[in-house]
Amino acid sequence: MAKTRTVVSRIAGGIQYGLGILSLVFAVLVYASPSIRNALAITHGEVYLYIFLFSVFGILSILSGSLLLREEK
Amino acid sequence: MGETRLKRELGLLQTAMMGIGGAICAGVFVTLGYAASLAGTALIIALVLCGIINLFTMLSYAELGAAIPSAGGEYTFAKASFGGLISFATGWFEWISNMFYAAFSSVGFAYLVSYAVQATKLPIPINIPITAVMTVAVFTLINIKGAKETGRAETLLVIVLLAFLGIFTLWGFLASQGTGPVELSAPGGFLGVLRASAFIFVVYLGGEAIAVAQAEIKNPGKTIPRAILLTCLALIFTYTAIAYVVFKTVPPADLADKESPLAYVAEQFMGPLGIGVITVAGSIAALSSVNTSIMAQSRVAYALARDGYFPRIFFSIHKHFSTPHIAVLVGSIFVAATAATGVVNFVTYATDFGFIVGFIFVNLSLIRLRRERPALHRPFQVPLYPLPPILGIVTSVLLILFLEPSTLLIGTELFIFGLIAYYLRMIEHCKICLAVGGMNIGISAFSALLAHILMSSSAATSMPQDITLLFFSVAVFISVAYLVAGLLHITRERR
Repeated sequence: MAKTRTVVSRIAGGIQYGLGILSLVFAVLVYASPSIRNALAITHGEVYLYIFLFSVFGILSILSGSLLLREEK
Repeated sequence: MGETRLKRELGLLQTAMMGIGGAICAGVFVTLGYAASLAGTALIIALVLCGIINLFTMLSYAELGAAIPSAGGEYTFAKASFGGLISFATGWFEWISNMFYAAFSSVGFAYLVSYAVQATKLPIPINIPITAVMTVAVFTLINIKGAKETGRAETLLVIVLLAFLGIFTLWGFLASQGTGPVELSAPGGFLGVLRASAFIFVVYLGGEAIAVAQAEIKNPGKTIPRAILLTCLALIFTYTAIAYVVFKTVPPADLADKESPLAYVAEQFMGPLGIGVITVAGSIAALSSVNTSIMAQSRVAYALARDGYFPRIFFSIHKHFSTPHIAVLVGSIFVAATAATGVVNFVTYATDFGFIVGFIFVNLSLIRLRRERPALHRPFQVPLYPLPPILGIVTSVLLILFLEPSTLLIGTELFIFGLIAYYLRMIEHCKICLAVGGMNIGISAFSALLAHILMSSSAATSMPQDITLLFFSVAVFISVAYLVAGLLHITRERR
């Protein structure tokens, strides 16, 4: 049981860590790339809101993923 | 004590230059115009007034720095006198302010380079964020190399900067001979002078970098008070001389709409050369501020890690260079990331608020330590105590009241982030896991709701079907992954 939990924690932690980094990269892309903003129909006034949301999501995911990965060490 | 591992390598000249270089930022090159429109030629009085207000608090820095010469500046003073959340909040604001100040200065430098390249019509495209990030990278390396190297770089930059400002002042003074003395007038009355003082006060901020690096200053009992007083007097003299020459050359009304008032004034008596002189001086001022701020932020992070508020890794010292290289590096990454956005307004507001809050806590620390630890060895004592620290507190509170509402809002947000960081370090690990688990389940529920809306609502009809399916799959994946992670956090074994 403990071994299963270890494996699941490691997978979930890894996924969260990856999603967190992706989210932060996405926040930078939203800021830097007009084509991505157009594709997502993000207006000029909404840019900083999206950056904020992606950053918060990314930081929280990395924090949660780190805690899960650290538990297994 | 960990800070004895930092080498005491900075003498009086290097320390004073660090204070002067920290204070004379690019701001003085652009803020004079608006301040002149508020106070008229009485801006000269406003500048002297600001210098005296700055001196009240700097006297507190001198006494505390000489008595407690450990790394961390304001944070260390607040730690010795209050401890707990107050000392953490002081260190937090100091750390954040210095990082934002470094970002602000590097972006300012990039704009000045761009302005100079355009003026000279050179076919070199200047990218503001890349130039700002490269500037941060160069000074990060200098700061990792050693305090002596940082001090030398700073001394060189400030001497060149003062030379350029000296050329401007002397040339302007000689060119305006025969025009009679400057007649002091304040179109906005005394209130206008006060408003101009609140606006222009930022040009004096940054000199307290001396206190942050005090663990690396030789003979701190004597050097710190002398360097701080020297910095204050040099700043008052420099700014007053510049303002005098400005008003000898042009009337205040001419400056209000100028992007670079000093460059405009220099052009009046030096021709196109004047624009070059002021642009180079502004660039050097920005560079010296980047250098000082990177050093200051790293020493605060180092001190916060020493006392367990920041991760222990920030307390690492480089084996060969004896510098807190991890603290320099991590802070510089944040500075570079902020500089890369090129958002100047936000960082200016955050910087002002943090520095002024730091002023209040330093004065409070002085009063508290005089009461609680009267026997503490004080190589320098504030004259006319308790008048200067009380005046320092009152004037700092008044300055906060005069700040823009957005500055207060950003300051409050930064304080909330600081509170979160403080409690993350201070509360038990299992409680953090519970909180993170709860947030994970919240995100999971939100993603599930989003997936449901995507498949059932008419909102999705405007999107192509494959895009809708992609969003739906991502939302379901996130919902499941975060639900599992949340449950793992909540059911974690209590230790």
